[in-house]
Amino acid sequence: MHIPDGLLDPITIIVLWGVTIGFMVLAYYRISNLFKSTESDKMIPYIGVLAAVIFAFQFVNYPIPGGTSGHLIGGTLVAVILGPWASLIVIFLILVIQSLFGDGGITALGANTFNMGVICGIVGFYIVVFLVRLLNHSSMKKEIKVAIATAIGAYISVVLAAFLAGIEISIGGIIPIQVSVPAMVFWHLFIAIGEAIISALIVYYIYKVKPDLITTESIMGV
Amino acid sequence: MMDFFKNHKKPLIYALIIIAIFIVVFAIGFPLGFLTQDPDGLERVIIDFRGETWLENLESVWFPILSWIQNEYVAGILGIVITLIITIGAFKLLKFARSKKEKVNSLPE
Repeated sequence: MHIPDGLLDPITIIVLWGVTIGFMVLAYYRISNLFKSTESDKMIPYIGVLAAVIFAFQFVNYPIPGGTSGHLIGGTLVAVILGPWASLIVIFLILVIQSLFGDGGITALGANTFNMGVICGIVGFYIVVFLVRLLNHSSMKKEIKVAIATAIGAYISVVLAAFLAGIEISIGGIIPIQVSVPAMVFWHLFIAIGEAIISALIVYYIYKVKPDLITTESIMGV
Repeated sequence: MMDFFKNHKKPLIYALIIIAIFIVVFAIGFPLGFLTQDPDGLERVIIDFRGETWLENLESVWFPILSWIQNEYVAGILGIVITLIITIGAFKLLKFARSKKEKVNSLPE
């Protein structure tokens, strides 16, 4: 999913940088809620650890039948743990580091942040919120409800991000849209299964060992 | 510096444990086949349409600066450490900005 340098046309790069910067500014203001708590001093190193985990997970490519591979993106996962706006900042910082190591381009950082931070993080999170509220009518335990909602939210958001990435790379004319969009969506229908399973397992595990790390319960309404 | 280590002992231990786990996962994952170096979804689409050589010729602007890092493990560990530093730094900065704003707002007129 990491778009490299040289694949996007200048207009797409500028527009997506603009959109991403807009969201980042909004995230900066919204993140202040996280720091209202007196525990935020303790939280910040945990955020760093979480970012490092996602960074490392994004290097771990699991095989997908057909000679391709997938890796965790983690946008929805981080959003469920820290909230959508903190997730956007975390994903952006991870992508900055990855671009240093040649995984995703520096010029395409705006596009990558939009796909993985805004779509997988913010959009994915609100899908999770919607699903948790639907599941609230059932008698399931909250950790099961949130884990199921996280899996579905992560799955949908990754496929949606792949769809948008397909459009973005087709605008420059390097790959025609009738090829890029179906191909991106097709592969990510399989890749997103891994994202869904890993995200759900991590959320479930956190609920079991340190539930207070999930800071979004009040937003999700569980 | 020592205070930082004392105050954040637990997260730092977690970070070290995570690094160790990932080293083990990387070391056994490829030989056992649950990890792969096959291209990811986007790379697969580009390779299918443009070919592998075309993709390989796309060069990061950082390449001349960081091409000295040859080992993937070194790159991974360095990345984890830099991610920790930058993420913690960014959130500390946000917290600092907020606390400064609150101080200004709480000053008597």
